[in-house]
Amino acid sequence: MTAIKTQGLTKKYKDVVAVSDLSLEIDEGEIFALLGVNGAGKTTTIKMLSTLIPPSSGKAEIFGMDAVKDKDAIRPLMGVSPQETAVAPALTVKENLEFMAGVYGVNGKSATDELIERFGLSEVLGRKAKTLSGGWQRKLSLALALVNSPRLLFLDEPTLGLDVLARRQLWKEVESLKSKTTILLTTHYIEEAESLATKVAMLNKGKLAAAGTVDELKEKYGAASLEEAFVAAARGGDENANA
Amino acid sequence: MRTLNFAGRNIKELVRDPLSIIFSLALPLFLLFIFKQINIPSPSYALDNFTPGIIVFSFSFVSMFTAILIAKDRSTSFLTRLAVSPMKPHEYVSGYVLALLPPVCVQVVAVLALALILGLKPPWGVLLALPVALVISLPFIALGILFGSITNEKAASGVSSIVVQLVSFTSGMYFDRSLVGDGFAVVCEVLPFESALTLLKAALNLDLSVIEPRNIIVFCAYTVAFFVLSVVLFNKNMSKGK
Repeated sequence: MTAIKTQGLTKKYKDVVAVSDLSLEIDEGEIFALLGVNGAGKTTTIKMLSTLIPPSSGKAEIFGMDAVKDKDAIRPLMGVSPQETAVAPALTVKENLEFMAGVYGVNGKSATDELIERFGLSEVLGRKAKTLSGGWQRKLSLALALVNSPRLLFLDEPTLGLDVLARRQLWKEVESLKSKTTILLTTHYIEEAESLATKVAMLNKGKLAAAGTVDELKEKYGAASLEEAFVAAARGGDENANA
Repeated sequence: MRTLNFAGRNIKELVRDPLSIIFSLALPLFLLFIFKQINIPSPSYALDNFTPGIIVFSFSFVSMFTAILIAKDRSTSFLTRLAVSPMKPHEYVSGYVLALLPPVCVQVVAVLALALILGLKPPWGVLLALPVALVISLPFIALGILFGSITNEKAASGVSSIVVQLVSFTSGMYFDRSLVGDGFAVVCEVLPFESALTLLKAALNLDLSVIEPRNIIVFCAYTVAFFVLSVVLFNKNMSKGK
């Protein structure tokens, strides 16, 4: 089943085109990475697909539902971990999880117990979120996004600012969700996309430069690595292709 | 249920930032106590006039810490996370309002208790003053939501201090507006703070004759306007972040 389908998705802010004519399809169970430099349009794309902002033109469908008209039906099916950690700073880890369980109306205890175990949060359960290290805050942020067992998960720069060990640990958590949850993640770390994603889309100045599996992209640009393919795609103009 | 869940979270955030609560509680109590000791020979500083003035003054701090809480929630993208959840717009605003009412209650009870200790008469007015004070606090909470929706965390306290100044100068708590001239008196009548104080004063002193229709109209109009504006601006800016 198709989890996400966009056709000519465009977002303009006055004279600035943040995302232009984006068309792609993401199958259910995939980990799909949106790769691009700062200002490439990754976060704006996530905001449109997660029903936070409407597109200026074009269309996005989530599980066959319109991302604008059917947002009330879509929202309970998805989870979002924004670029900032977006946790309640004065609440403890446990209280953060219980609060989000209340927001989604799910059974607080069973939902939070499973997440506490999966993310190893028991050792920081009673600590206020603002006192946690960056790595723990990211883990909590991801756990909060999973409290409603979403079918679709948006991760906006999930490892931004983390050291290499914390990043690898978080990758492990994301990988464990593979096939159970469709994941759309944005990143400007090439190795993150290469390591996690089943498919990658490269955005350049708001436009889709290329999309496909890592091997397809390497082959397409005759590149030895995804980084080389990315550089070639960024320099080589636009190509609006379906993933 | 989601409103109560959100209100519970907001209360925890507020009480775990003790500086704002202590400041909004300690300063009004200190002012009430110290002005009573100074014993200024002016009716404005008599306990039956100054106590409701101090309560309305303390609400300007409610505006301030509401604004700071909301600006902080926006800057950390916490509200972005909630914006894509099943929560509805009215649940956010009512969640903030509900969370603010307990601290407001504590403020009012503390100020009234100190006033009684200092010799406030007649004491029965305090029973009416408490529910009236909760109603009077509503436009201040709405102003806090409004300021928190349009400012960042650093600017929120600065912008909110405008309310502190306006209450001090235009409510009539420190001086009779007639002493400053007709022009200033009009400003006091047009703004909601004098009307808010008059309503609370009437309740505390069990003297409804001091209320003019203008006081009710001005207070209600501002309360509705502040809430409508705060809901519109909050919905517009809740996920805009910094």
